[in-house]
Amino acid sequence: MYRYDEFDAAFVAGRTAQFADQVKRRLTGELSEDQFRPLRLMNGLYLQLHAYMLRVAVPYGTLSSRQMRKLAHIARVYDRGYGHFTTRQNIQYNWPKLKDIPVILEELASVEMHAIQTSGNCIRNVTTDQFAGAAADEIIDPRPVAEILRQWSSLHPEFSYLPRKFKIAITGAPHDRAAIRFHDIGLQAAVNAAGEIGWEVWVGGGLGRTPMIAKLINSFVPNEHLLAYLESIMRVYNRYGRRDNKYKARIKILVHEEGLESIKGQVEAEFAEVRGGVLTLPSEEVDRISAYFAPPIFEPQALTQIDVAYESIVDPAYGRWLDNNINAHIQPGYVSVTISLKPVGGAPGDATDAQMEVVADLAEQFSFDELRVTHEQNLVLPHVALKDLRRVYDALVAAGLAEGNNNLITDMICCPGLDFCALANARSIPIAQEISKKFAEPERQKEIGELKIKISGCINACGHHHVGHIGILGVEKKGGELYQITLGGDATEQASVGKIIGPGFEAENVPGAIEKLVDFYISQRTSESETFIDAYRRVGEAPFKEALYGNA
Amino acid sequence: MGLPKLAPAQAAHDKLKALGILALNGMFDEMDAAGVLRYAVSDVLPGDLAIVSSFGADSAVLLHIVAQVDPSMPVYFLETGKHFPETLAYVETLKKQFGLINVHAIHPSADDVARFDPNGNLWESDPDSCCHIRKTEPLEPVTEQYGGWVTGRKRYQTRERGVLPHFELTSDDRIKVNPLAYFSDADVIEYRQKHNLPEHPLYAKGYKSIGCAPCTSIVAEGEDPRAGRWRGLNKKECGIHYDFSGAIANPMTAASRHTLWKDGAFIQDPFKDWVEGTKASEARYVHVPLPEFLANRADYLANPHPLGLLVSPGEKIEEVADDLARFASVAIKFPAFTDGRGYSTARLLVERFKYAGEIRAIGDVLQDQIPHMRRCGFNALVVTHEPTRQALIENRLPEMALFYQPVGVAEVPVGTRPFLRRVS
Repeated sequence: MYRYDEFDAAFVAGRTAQFADQVKRRLTGELSEDQFRPLRLMNGLYLQLHAYMLRVAVPYGTLSSRQMRKLAHIARVYDRGYGHFTTRQNIQYNWPKLKDIPVILEELASVEMHAIQTSGNCIRNVTTDQFAGAAADEIIDPRPVAEILRQWSSLHPEFSYLPRKFKIAITGAPHDRAAIRFHDIGLQAAVNAAGEIGWEVWVGGGLGRTPMIAKLINSFVPNEHLLAYLESIMRVYNRYGRRDNKYKARIKILVHEEGLESIKGQVEAEFAEVRGGVLTLPSEEVDRISAYFAPPIFEPQALTQIDVAYESIVDPAYGRWLDNNINAHIQPGYVSVTISLKPVGGAPGDATDAQMEVVADLAEQFSFDELRVTHEQNLVLPHVALKDLRRVYDALVAAGLAEGNNNLITDMICCPGLDFCALANARSIPIAQEISKKFAEPERQKEIGELKIKISGCINACGHHHVGHIGILGVEKKGGELYQITLGGDATEQASVGKIIGPGFEAENVPGAIEKLVDFYISQRTSESETFIDAYRRVGEAPFKEALYGNA
Repeated sequence: MGLPKLAPAQAAHDKLKALGILALNGMFDEMDAAGVLRYAVSDVLPGDLAIVSSFGADSAVLLHIVAQVDPSMPVYFLETGKHFPETLAYVETLKKQFGLINVHAIHPSADDVARFDPNGNLWESDPDSCCHIRKTEPLEPVTEQYGGWVTGRKRYQTRERGVLPHFELTSDDRIKVNPLAYFSDADVIEYRQKHNLPEHPLYAKGYKSIGCAPCTSIVAEGEDPRAGRWRGLNKKECGIHYDFSGAIANPMTAASRHTLWKDGAFIQDPFKDWVEGTKASEARYVHVPLPEFLANRADYLANPHPLGLLVSPGEKIEEVADDLARFASVAIKFPAFTDGRGYSTARLLVERFKYAGEIRAIGDVLQDQIPHMRRCGFNALVVTHEPTRQALIENRLPEMALFYQPVGVAEVPVGTRPFLRRVS
């Protein structure tokens, strides 16, 4: 993975010192909260319901064991012993003190990490496929480009005061695990007729109060011109994105209101000016960065297959884990392991400092010192030899991290909700906890199969409810919390936005409503291999609606 | 500097005094420039007379006369360091063509420049002082060594010079000889044509009186030819033509209340606020709002006065791309520091339209945004926020010295990670 050189280290140190000074000025009152806000936001510091919240960037979701241990250390020393992994592959600390922030940032800098641009109206941390560089179906490892984007977008002087935040996701695989069509810009590796690798550029996707699926603005941008093309989009957005209404300020609204063709024309005109200029990527530089992401030196493995059926008989829990939490690897004898942060009854995405230490140890010992954070709020050991799986699993069991529920109904995305968030209208973590308890039984989960439930505590949709096969949105109604249910969302390359199918439910009725939908799906599916989303697409909205609300 | 100083001809000086300046001025036909100079050289101040020439738009005439009378007469050129390159080239042209063999450049004292004008922008904040350290001071030791000097001043040039005689006696007993005192613009042109004198390269571009580059602008048809000098300022002379003991402004004039930050100091702003309803033909030293400029473009282009352009968020700098050279300054407005549109405007100005003049940020300009502004091409700031003013004065901006991405026109050398990384 990428290693800081002197320049990177000096850059982050400089930025840390700069923000330390700004914190000092805030503490002395020289800066008002109004003036401090954009500065702290650009350094990942939010003021939440109860306290400050620090969001630390995990660039494209990649961590080393040393970094993970530092995250554990920060959770232990400066917070309440845990951290929350987010849908943007970052980690959030919910209880830091303002005066400690400069020290925390120094601690992070010591392991080549920072909180730069994890908030604010700037280009946020670039996210990618959690299996990048490991997945069997990959065209190209997107991490070198993601790192180049990280560098290009860091403290970009022109694009630090955009109309609104800006999120870029990139994937090198045809199967989209990074939800690129729901980002301001989504990049998908593409191969042109000449066999060269470049990028499909999707623009204007997003969730929030106006969910939009991104539109294809360019089907092939050569790698060397990618920065120039992105800068062209950014400039058009910076100049013409709406600033009169923060709810209409994302690029999706600009694309929607002006039309893709108009925006495309403006971007192409800009691109014609900047193409071939200073942003052209020299292949030596791409190679230099790519070298950091060279695959580890895999040893030939005698064991290239595991008999999951057999293991399931011997140890059903291990069997389930093998069934669900293992992803095919490009290298024979290896797999990627998803470590679930969705224990039944737990808060999705949370990990204690002790758990982080265990995961760090496992990464060091069994995964070439590499870790990933997924946008579905789990962790990944990207390169684990089959022969080591049992030892990894046993260690995870001891740490309470061995839930074999990846992609199942209890593997929910869930925002922090009203328990933490100043923006939320409703609690979301308790809803997730109740649902997971209702479907805790492993056999039941297995019967249901792949089903993505995503929960947001407000319309801002941090819990991605629009793209849940079943989405749950908390809203405030007459002083109480009410939960709307959407169906049919999909964050992958078959992107779709879920539809609200009827009136909302009281919190205590949500698990029951989910159960009705699940039961109806099982009754309708053609076979066990027809997933919820496939069945929904086949039979349509009306029958599900009737199943949930009765024949009104 | 080895000055070609000859022994002062004290006697001649006395003779002049004896004759009386009034009598002297009655001796010559108004247009007999060569006669005036010849008499001065041979009878009044033999070997004690020097010329200071600006090598400006109409310097050629006087220098040509000098060359006819005495090509070895010391000619001093005030090399202020602020001249147009065309002027410097012109010095060489005239030297060669006229056979002037005694031309000397006088430079300002390095100490004075370092002390009073460390950033080279004194001309802007305090032009009197700028003239003082670049012209009056360096010239003083030279003039002290001569009984008199020759100037190219003419009566017609400004109203103040309307009574200019051929000979003047200064309060410190020196003589100024003005051979061209009675020449008109037409006379100059006629002389020039008659003798086929090389023209200053900038004359054809509308510069009628040429001094240092920053303080010289084009004059319009019918305008006082010297209107282009120190335009917009209540200043007509550079100081060297004043009585030597005359008061010259103190260069250290306090600038603490100035809001324009440029090149490391708060300085006097030559521009005033735009006033709604200003006529296009009468605007001067204001930033004209872009839509107003577009609506009355022809009038503004005909307006000879220095003007700036005001660009507000949402306005397209592209629409005035062809006219940018018209503006001495472009002001980009930040109604709120969170509105980042101005950064794009600045980059387009500098990088795409190659605008080389002043780009100033106005509005909500705070210290934490200034480093970004600078990188995008802003070279001036109008700052009213007091903590920001203090931070600028004390040079403690929250600045990062390292950058990942190239912006602006100054780039990393080719081949050294052109898309990444800069050290400021």
